[in-house]
Amino acid sequence: MADKEKLLNPDPGVCVPWEVKLEEIGEFPGNEAIVKKEWEKLDDFAYNFIWFWAQR
Amino acid sequence: MSEKQMLYQKRLERYITAMDCGKPDMVPVAFGVGEWIAKYTGTTLQEIYYDLDKSNSIVSEMLPGLDFDIFKGGPSLWWPPMFDAMGSKLYKFPGIGVEENSTFQFNEQEYMKPEDYDEFIASPTEWLVNHYLPNISTELENPGSYRSTVALIKGAAAFAMQGGIMAQAYGKWTMDHGIVGQGTGFTKAPFDTLGDALRGMKGVLLDLRRRPEKVLAACEAITPHNVNCGLAGAGADTRFPCFAPLHRGAYPFLNPNQWNNFYWPSLKATIEGLWARGKRMLFYAEGDWTPYLDKIAELPDKSIIFQIDTTDAKKAKEILGGRFCLQGGVPTTLLTYGTPAKIKEHIKRTIDELACDGGFILDAGGVVMGDAKQENVIAMIEAAREYGVY
Repeated sequence: MADKEKLLNPDPGVCVPWEVKLEEIGEFPGNEAIVKKEWEKLDDFAYNFIWFWAQR
Repeated sequence: MSEKQMLYQKRLERYITAMDCGKPDMVPVAFGVGEWIAKYTGTTLQEIYYDLDKSNSIVSEMLPGLDFDIFKGGPSLWWPPMFDAMGSKLYKFPGIGVEENSTFQFNEQEYMKPEDYDEFIASPTEWLVNHYLPNISTELENPGSYRSTVALIKGAAAFAMQGGIMAQAYGKWTMDHGIVGQGTGFTKAPFDTLGDALRGMKGVLLDLRRRPEKVLAACEAITPHNVNCGLAGAGADTRFPCFAPLHRGAYPFLNPNQWNNFYWPSLKATIEGLWARGKRMLFYAEGDWTPYLDKIAELPDKSIIFQIDTTDAKKAKEILGGRFCLQGGVPTTLLTYGTPAKIKEHIKRTIDELACDGGFILDAGGVVMGDAKQENVIAMIEAAREYGVY
């Protein structure tokens, strides 16, 4: 299933770019910066977890 | 400022001065508690690996009374419960796969196949998630299944838990004993990322003959990720180096032509990428790197700390000294087979030869093995203080 998805080819430190998520959210009534900052922190954590396994 | 805080500041200054090739008040000493500690504490290696609290308490008991500057870490490199949660095939750990007092074993396989290169190069992070993690983890063999989803939740939770526990332990050791951690961030040479965990030794060596352009393209794709990995951790504190254990670049794994064309360009780019962001690399040159010292000297000044394992120390000093901090100088075999008297004699000579004009950190050359003797390790620290005053 994953193979059929369009490749994101995320940058280093990124798994799912905020821009992709933002487009899916659409209308943004609140403060985008607050949400973006925390999204990117967790995204970076996930990235480090993934690459941990390849850097052994 | 408390006594321990002042001690921390003094040791930090000593460390930073040496990294910048200067001459501190005395030669900084690096020290790590290795697997060798197990036989002196009545614990099994399995207990040390599995029980982080026990492992950290052993370190806490050892630190008082030891006068060194830079702490390289506790006795276990990995926390196996995280690997168990994922059903990881990468290692055999003490008590699960190997006997409870055996060191861990890396289970090298071609987890990435030759036909995977293009997809990996197109999007490395996505390929790792979609293919590599299921390939290395029995629990992830059926992505999207109950077992797979639970394993990912547990694995990520374990990653966070271990990070939190170790951060707390380092905070306590700093406060209670004034020790300075060696570094933040972990990275590798791109060729090692490819050749260690993904293609394996046999796979990557065959690739050098059969698909060299794919090897180069993969190393190029890995490079920005390895820059990022070196910056990760502890807020990417650029006062400290990132740790980079270097494997296939040691002589004579590759011939000089292969080293120049396949190993070095992407490692150099990684180091330059890190240095452009103010981050130095602890160039952990395991084995012998003597034939490559001239190439290493092409790096920007101070961008690495060069670890001397079995590299010719005098040549390393001659070629790299003054422009790069050197670290090491004590053969790990001496810590196993030597005596305190021989250790002291060796350290006096090492300090005379390598530390005379600064830019040197005294340390074991490589990872201290489980059969090292505690009296030798302690003799190393004591001799460094006795002979290391400038």
